[in-house]
Amino acid sequence: MTSALDGITVLELCGERGQLMGKLMGDMGARVIKVEPIGGSDTRSIGPFKDDQINKNQSLYFWANNTSKESIEVDITSQEGIEIIKSLSKICDVVFEDYDPGYLESLGLGYGELSKNHPELIMTSLTAFGQDGPYRDFKSTDLVALAMGGQMHSCGYDDLPGAPPIRPYGDHGNYIASHYGLMGTLSALIYRDFSGKGQYIDASAHEACSSTTEVALPAYLYPPNKEVFRQTGRHAGTFPTAKTLCKTVDNKYLIVFRIFMDLSSWIALVKWMDLHGMAEDLADQKFKDMAANRTAGTEDGDYAMEVLRKFIATRPAEEVYRKSQELRFPWGVVRSPEENLDDPHFYEDRGMFTKIDHPELGNDVSYTYVGRPYNFKGTPWSASRAPLLAENTKKILIEDLDYSNEKISNLASSGVIGVN
Amino acid sequence: MVKLPLDKQALSGLRVIDFSWIVAGPQNTRILADFGAEVIKIENEASLDYARHIASPFANGSPNKSPLHSTLNRNKKSITLNVMHPEGMEYLKELISISDVIVENFSAKVLEKWGLGYEEQKKIRPDIIYCSMSGFGHSGRDKGYVTWGPTAQAISGLTYMSGLPQEESAGWGFSYMDHTGGFYGCLAILMAIIHRNKTGEGQHLDLSQVEAGIGLTGTAILDYTVNNRPFRRPDMPPGNRAPERRIAPHNSYECKGDDRWCVISVTNDIEWDLLVESMGSPTWAKDSKFTSMESRVTNQDELDNNINQWTQQFTPQEIMKFLQEKGVPCGAVQTPSERVEQDQQLKHRNFIATAPHAELETTRVESIPMNMSETPWQMKTSAPLLGEHSADIYLDLLGVPGEELGRLYEEGIA
Repeated sequence: MTSALDGITVLELCGERGQLMGKLMGDMGARVIKVEPIGGSDTRSIGPFKDDQINKNQSLYFWANNTSKESIEVDITSQEGIEIIKSLSKICDVVFEDYDPGYLESLGLGYGELSKNHPELIMTSLTAFGQDGPYRDFKSTDLVALAMGGQMHSCGYDDLPGAPPIRPYGDHGNYIASHYGLMGTLSALIYRDFSGKGQYIDASAHEACSSTTEVALPAYLYPPNKEVFRQTGRHAGTFPTAKTLCKTVDNKYLIVFRIFMDLSSWIALVKWMDLHGMAEDLADQKFKDMAANRTAGTEDGDYAMEVLRKFIATRPAEEVYRKSQELRFPWGVVRSPEENLDDPHFYEDRGMFTKIDHPELGNDVSYTYVGRPYNFKGTPWSASRAPLLAENTKKILIEDLDYSNEKISNLASSGVIGVN
Repeated sequence: MVKLPLDKQALSGLRVIDFSWIVAGPQNTRILADFGAEVIKIENEASLDYARHIASPFANGSPNKSPLHSTLNRNKKSITLNVMHPEGMEYLKELISISDVIVENFSAKVLEKWGLGYEEQKKIRPDIIYCSMSGFGHSGRDKGYVTWGPTAQAISGLTYMSGLPQEESAGWGFSYMDHTGGFYGCLAILMAIIHRNKTGEGQHLDLSQVEAGIGLTGTAILDYTVNNRPFRRPDMPPGNRAPERRIAPHNSYECKGDDRWCVISVTNDIEWDLLVESMGSPTWAKDSKFTSMESRVTNQDELDNNINQWTQQFTPQEIMKFLQEKGVPCGAVQTPSERVEQDQQLKHRNFIATAPHAELETTRVESIPMNMSETPWQMKTSAPLLGEHSADIYLDLLGVPGEELGRLYEEGIA
């Protein structure tokens, strides 16, 4: 089976904002050449690290976001370094970059320069705020992106006095930006297939995040033009809703909602509670009527939810999760990420996790990674470990650019390139 | 493979049959439509897209006035077609024979029950790309389980990762995994089109909303499989701090106003010096507790309290502009109204697009968040009225004689 992106070559000049684009393409078969500054990408210094030893080749954050890439270490501010990037871009279909606006252009590496004699080239610049406009030069991080974009306004607590808005942890501002940048890039590749024309894509994390807040904008943009407010563990709303987090006996939580969804699910739920002697008066007809009519937002509904909450507090989380799903309720257990390794649906049946070899750490060393985010039935997903810093510098210069060994040693000793 | 006409949109000529509903599926096909694909929403009055019911109080029962539906379905077409009627099914199959992609986000197996699983689709259209977007995927012991956005966020680990340490989860205040599940569906389709254009082969793309979420937890999984350290531990999640980067200050701070906040994240000593200068070089900042990155990380509680005293005097927008001018990474925790009315950058980038709409007068929707030099985005049409394009599609695309169309409506086929 061939891979979906076989034959596509990507030059990646990205740090934390854009690195996911290259990983997603590499895992689907594209060749991705990651250009790192001398000393390595800043992302190699983000933790956690293997064995908590700070080491450029053992950042687990770097490992997770840079599978299936090659690494070339180049000083792109030097004349020889600039030549290397220009020559490499000629063999590439796509260039990804996430430097500050105008930086690559100031080095003579802007799209105008790189697409000269290479009009099929697609270049995607993924900046914090875009290539133009009053905030163009604002400084940003993932935290700033999620504040400005509106995510934080919707995430947090309504029952913890004084609690701040919360940035959902885990690089999601960077990820939202990368997802949009990559969708644009892939659409441009399709357009190129038909037209022969490449193009320049100016994408920003700020706009991407601002477009990813679900109901917050429509609630404001349409009458009665209200702003949503934060509620603990559930949707921000323009009116208060019942709390969905329910604590379980093993000190975990479940998300419980839509308890009045259909009559048969409701009857089975009450029966189950009754077996444990905890149904109280939920078998009453009025609750059946509410289930049949999908009634929401009433005092009786709040009461039923409290009885249910007391029952759930006596059961283990995974048990309630499985039982409720069997009864067709859309409830979810609030898992910590590693707990999915114990779920046979994902681990065994779906092969959602994958072992990746780390021969640099010894024979037979491999670790379990998160695997494919989608299941292509016709073309495989497969990942190799993130590159060591400068792991492929020599090979790329020799095989792709015909550099001699002598030239490479000279460049290395003058600090233009790093070799491993 | 159909040779596609060429115009100035990236996916012009690509036809998508869209059974998707609520948020995740429509998010996927909205992007395909924005890139120029012809997205045909297959609808039926008996089982409306649930988002059409999430209406504003002014809808008066109309299925065309839902703000959420209008947001997610711009640039698409709508045809009413009853797939439960044998004749309706025949028209659907004809439509499939002239389409490139089928998207649905039903529970697993719904299309198979209709007799329209991937193998059947392939008989009608050999190079079809079929994107199914269910909660748990189309295989495995839990494939019958159901998710809404919050369910997928909870199971994947994303809800747990958002919050203050030692408190309940703050989670996500919206269906992030409906957006992101949609993104992965769209990414998969685009990659599959690239493959099809090269090889002539279509395929089934079996998406799972929970798996797309798990895909975003890669670092936490490695910390467990390599270091044996679970994310479920007393110091995690870290609120708005950044222990993985060992930088401080990195937090949210109170501002003037009711429930108003800003964020500041200082990534190096230069930015720290600029922040200190911006705060008027207070004496506390000269204390060795705060002069190195390492000491600031160690003394974060006190550091954050001190900064908070300063930020409280200003509005979030004031803090943002003042610190950004100095070169300190900082942002207002923007409200929806700030994003729409005050954010000069979003204004400059034409963030809100508008188009006329028969029942809402005008729809206002966020633009696709990028500028493309050759294939710029266009807000061509508002979300379609229910069945708005039925006549065009039956008459022009499927060649139904004019005198037949009335019968199709009368008999509940169209």
